[in-house]
Amino acid sequence: MKVITIDSNKCVGCRNCEMACAYQRTQETCAYSESNIKINHFIEERILLPMTCLHCEDAPCMTVCPAKAISKDEELGVIVIDKNKCAGCKMCMLVCAYGNIHFDHEALVSRKCNLCEGNPKCVGHCISGALQFEELETVMEKERLKTDERIKSFLRKHGE
Amino acid sequence: MAKEIKKSCCRMCGMLCGIDVHVEDGRVVEIEGNKNYVANNGRICIKGSSGLSQLYHKDRLMKPLKKVNGEFVEIELEQAMDEIAAKLKQLQETYGTASVGVWKGEGTGFAQQEELARRFTHAIKTPNYFSNDTQCYAGRYISYNLNYGTWPAADFRNSKLAVIWGTNAPASHSYWTQDINAGREKGGKLVVIDTMYTDMARVADLYIQIKPGTDGVLAWGLIQQLIKQAVIDEEFIATYTHGYAELEAYAKMFTPEYVEKYTGVSQAQLQEVVDLYKVATPHVSSWCGTGLEHQTNGVSNVRTVAYIDALIGAVDVPGSMVTLDGFGASHLEIELDDELVELAIGKKEYPVLYGQRGECHTLLLMDQILSEKPYPFKGLVMTAANPALTNANSQKVVEALSALELLVVKDLYMTETAKLADYILPAASYLERSEIQYSGINQTVKLTEQVVDLGLQNEYDLFKGLADRLGAADLIPWKNEEAMNRWLVEPTGISYEDLAAHRDGYQYKPLTYNKIQGAHANGKTPFNTKTGKIEFTSEYLRDMGYEPLAKYTSVPVYIDRPETDYPLVLMTGARKVMYFHGRYRNIEQINKVMPEGLVELHPDDAMNLNVQEGDRVRVVTENGAIEIKVKVLHEAEIFPGAIQITHGFAKANVNMLVGDGTRDPISGFPALKSVPARVEKI
Amino acid sequence: MINITVIGNSAAGLAAVEAIRKIDKNIPINVISKEGGAAYSRVLLPYVLRGKVAYENMTIRSGSYYEDLKINYIEDEVTKLNTETKSVTLANGTEVPYGKLLIATGSNPVKPPIEGINADGIYHMWTKEDLDGLRPHFESGKRMAVIGSGFVSLQAAWAAVYKGLEVTVIELANRIMPNVIDDKGAEILSDKIRSFGVDLRTETLTTSIEKLDDGNFKIHMKDKEPVIVDCIVVGTGVRPNIQFLEGSSVTVDRGIPVNEFMETNVQDIYASGDVACGPTTFGEKNIIHALWPTALEMGEHAGINMIGEKTAYEGSLNMNVTQMYDLTVASMGRFSDALDHQTYIFPETAGKGYLKVSYDDGIMAGACLVGSTEAVKILGRLRPLIKEKKKIDICPEKLEMYLQINAFASVDRA
Repeated sequence: MKVITIDSNKCVGCRNCEMACAYQRTQETCAYSESNIKINHFIEERILLPMTCLHCEDAPCMTVCPAKAISKDEELGVIVIDKNKCAGCKMCMLVCAYGNIHFDHEALVSRKCNLCEGNPKCVGHCISGALQFEELETVMEKERLKTDERIKSFLRKHGE
Repeated sequence: MAKEIKKSCCRMCGMLCGIDVHVEDGRVVEIEGNKNYVANNGRICIKGSSGLSQLYHKDRLMKPLKKVNGEFVEIELEQAMDEIAAKLKQLQETYGTASVGVWKGEGTGFAQQEELARRFTHAIKTPNYFSNDTQCYAGRYISYNLNYGTWPAADFRNSKLAVIWGTNAPASHSYWTQDINAGREKGGKLVVIDTMYTDMARVADLYIQIKPGTDGVLAWGLIQQLIKQAVIDEEFIATYTHGYAELEAYAKMFTPEYVEKYTGVSQAQLQEVVDLYKVATPHVSSWCGTGLEHQTNGVSNVRTVAYIDALIGAVDVPGSMVTLDGFGASHLEIELDDELVELAIGKKEYPVLYGQRGECHTLLLMDQILSEKPYPFKGLVMTAANPALTNANSQKVVEALSALELLVVKDLYMTETAKLADYILPAASYLERSEIQYSGINQTVKLTEQVVDLGLQNEYDLFKGLADRLGAADLIPWKNEEAMNRWLVEPTGISYEDLAAHRDGYQYKPLTYNKIQGAHANGKTPFNTKTGKIEFTSEYLRDMGYEPLAKYTSVPVYIDRPETDYPLVLMTGARKVMYFHGRYRNIEQINKVMPEGLVELHPDDAMNLNVQEGDRVRVVTENGAIEIKVKVLHEAEIFPGAIQITHGFAKANVNMLVGDGTRDPISGFPALKSVPARVEKI
Repeated sequence: MINITVIGNSAAGLAAVEAIRKIDKNIPINVISKEGGAAYSRVLLPYVLRGKVAYENMTIRSGSYYEDLKINYIEDEVTKLNTETKSVTLANGTEVPYGKLLIATGSNPVKPPIEGINADGIYHMWTKEDLDGLRPHFESGKRMAVIGSGFVSLQAAWAAVYKGLEVTVIELANRIMPNVIDDKGAEILSDKIRSFGVDLRTETLTTSIEKLDDGNFKIHMKDKEPVIVDCIVVGTGVRPNIQFLEGSSVTVDRGIPVNEFMETNVQDIYASGDVACGPTTFGEKNIIHALWPTALEMGEHAGINMIGEKTAYEGSLNMNVTQMYDLTVASMGRFSDALDHQTYIFPETAGKGYLKVSYDDGIMAGACLVGSTEAVKILGRLRPLIKEKKKIDICPEKLEMYLQINAFASVDRA
């Protein structure tokens, strides 16, 4: 089973991933707001954080959903939202500790990364190599979301 | 459903990433990066995957068009070719063979396309070959060739220090970002020197913000300190370089205090750079972009930066500037008689441009068309270029091209330039052709597969068709592009079929280091310069009557002669990831990301002007004025007092602001990145 | 152990059952449900009323659920608990023995002491039965009154507005939604509610409800004009379902107090969900949250503790979110103005609407939002910090950035 790994040290904030995700999802726009992967750029701190759904082991979003609209595809290890069942209540957004669930303001349902059925477009479009799609076993040794020195020193400064 | 994957190289920009093109029942359904291609390792940018939208775009030209009474009417290709050839013949007979020429653009032209266009130009007995390269690339080409006699590649993957000057790889050289990151992952450091805090700068260990157009001074200042702090490699200098004494003498005046005052780069920062060099030398690579090239001191700026690599012996060792082996394919260029060569437009004014690149000068072309001096220029065959939008002084370009008796434009779409044409020929895109593409430092060649055939004429057929009709059939003899490809490949030692079997790329020779050291050991001169060495003082320039050392003499106008009417300095051409110069505004999904041109301001300047994000303003220069929307950057993102406008937006065309009169004296490049300007609130 | 018996077929009960089955595939499990019918979440009721969720999609467990999990499903009401014989008595007279018992009977709405409140056609917003009763009235042009302005009541009112009904909301207190948002949030929301044409009446006492001959209702209020409506929804609080515990040795205090292992005072008897008063993340020992996420967490912990592995519940954190009147209303933790906390209200320019975070000497305590959907993510990222009681030192303007960076880095540390 493969997972997306993120090396914050390599991200240049080109946002190809956001554009690719937006287009994959909507088939009509590359606008960043329509993407499920988000690049957070903190200019003064010189920190770049790509963030995308981690398809958690015991996904809180899946547990809490009162419509049972969120389920796990065991083969791909993907947590998916069934937009036909979703009520748009946003409980999943409230329990995701990473802010990885977004909202589709047209269909009025929650939306999130579905790993593009095992061929994530964000990774395919990452021209810096910050995003990789790797076997979970090989990732165990490395960090999954690799923090760089700037992130570590920021957190130390503010009360780690 | 018949599914297959065809392998090609993307041409949505100049990087030629390897792509896997998914085809179902003869129709392309998706484009992904080719994981087996050494250059991009399976990655692709949004332009690349959007090549699908371009391929089947509703606005693609499908039939030749002829302008009749001011309107375009469809005609058959044969008729178009006959008429174009007849007109070219008539013009050559009336005004001389040099009264017509060829202009190759960036939309389809790299490597063999360029060579083919050059061949055709000479085949029809005119010296007048023009290209987009005289607004980008040729300047740096000249710089490196004056120094080295070649243009070495940066071995980023193994660099202990990479120094990037005025260029933004994520937007302009996508997979170099991977390479630079690979070097960083091994502990390599990255310095980015730029007037703006670019994507690349975001991951730099050291970002140095510099005053526009002053990079040459910083480079000299760095040289001065590297010499003073004994970081240079004296043995390398003695063995492989020429002109060190003059360089050392000239460098003396560029003290850290002087550099700080002139460029805005603090002495502390300069020392930080020197310290990084000390640790990393000689495994240092560098790269200069148009930020240095598009200046009045362009050629010298880049030469100065290139001096640094030679001073520390960062040549042909791992992680440095490495010389490359060629594939050994045939070349398409053919000679032209001397009398005709003398007529090359711009050869007199810019002999180095013509001498080093065989290129004529597009800006002077416009003047010559309008004035008919020194001789009339009447006909132009243009392929994949849109200078009405992307050349300096758009107003003059439009005027001049409109005055031609024959303008032929071959393109995928009805561009601003195409609208001025007498004949428009639809172009086959890269997915409709089979071409030989190279990947520089990887010393890898790829024969791309023709993915689909939409029945459109490719460039080979254009030039062959015209050559046949103009009595030059023997000079472009191959039946079609494939036959030409076969001919090109013949001397290489690999057969065409074998090459075709290596659709993921064929490495003709692995990269080796120490070639120059090896050549030297064998008593050969490692560099293709007059002295056989890396020339700090270029004997080629000296022979031409130019100053041989890359002195910082051609100071940007806004520094040399500041004017109160134009208190800001306009930089242009910062690349955006999703566009490629004048292209892709018509790809709808991409357009939604950046639908219009923007003037990027420092927040202090915005405040002084009393403008806010989203306001419309007027930007004014000596050359013209445009109305454009404001984007206010973060204070760290742009040098205060500088503004930036990206080109390629027809409704806010920055090339109306950029004059063509301020030029680098060696390359003739317009100074695109330091134009005196002001901003007016509307 | 002969079996595990669960009284209740909703969030807490099913979470417990699923937690048990993850550990033990074979131990016999009984689930006793009074309500009957397929399991559903009452969180969805307003969305069904509004038409967002199809009626058929309300159920959250499939027909073969009990069979698949080897659960013995019993549809009946428990009338008595017999702790000495370790059994429960059903309404039909059967006695069901238990090895361990989980009481997850939830809560039920209370009717306020208003004359006429028990008439037919007056609903709560609590069960499927309420939903079935309300739906025929949900036609454009009809009129509805909502008594009470709690979280659930206002969602019902919104569903009605959305469907084109004329709506009156009657609230006794001087502001709406007493528990879910702060004063400022309530003010903003009230304005928004009124801007949709809702007749929102605070500080209003309902004195009586008169059923008219044509079947409509006339609602009389103190010092206010009466209003005539087609239907009424009452939402004035809920009460735990503990009637059957009368006479048993299980301690009750409004609800059933439990410790961090979900244990009641009687051995082998546990409680979870709306019926239970359990520990909160703020150190309170016995609080009823009556919230869906809390019920899930408590149920899960009860299940784990019942099957043997003693696992302390770190305490519930109250949180709510809903979409209404074109706003997202959400809150978490402690944010009341009455607290002696520092607060930070995001500026307008941040585009989040009204978002207030509350903290105590660098330790995040809670947040309250009446504004944009995006801002819900801030609450989501705040949650681990509130639970961890982590002390952070950053100016509030940079809090959002801190939350994003912390979230990213927390995966690394995990």
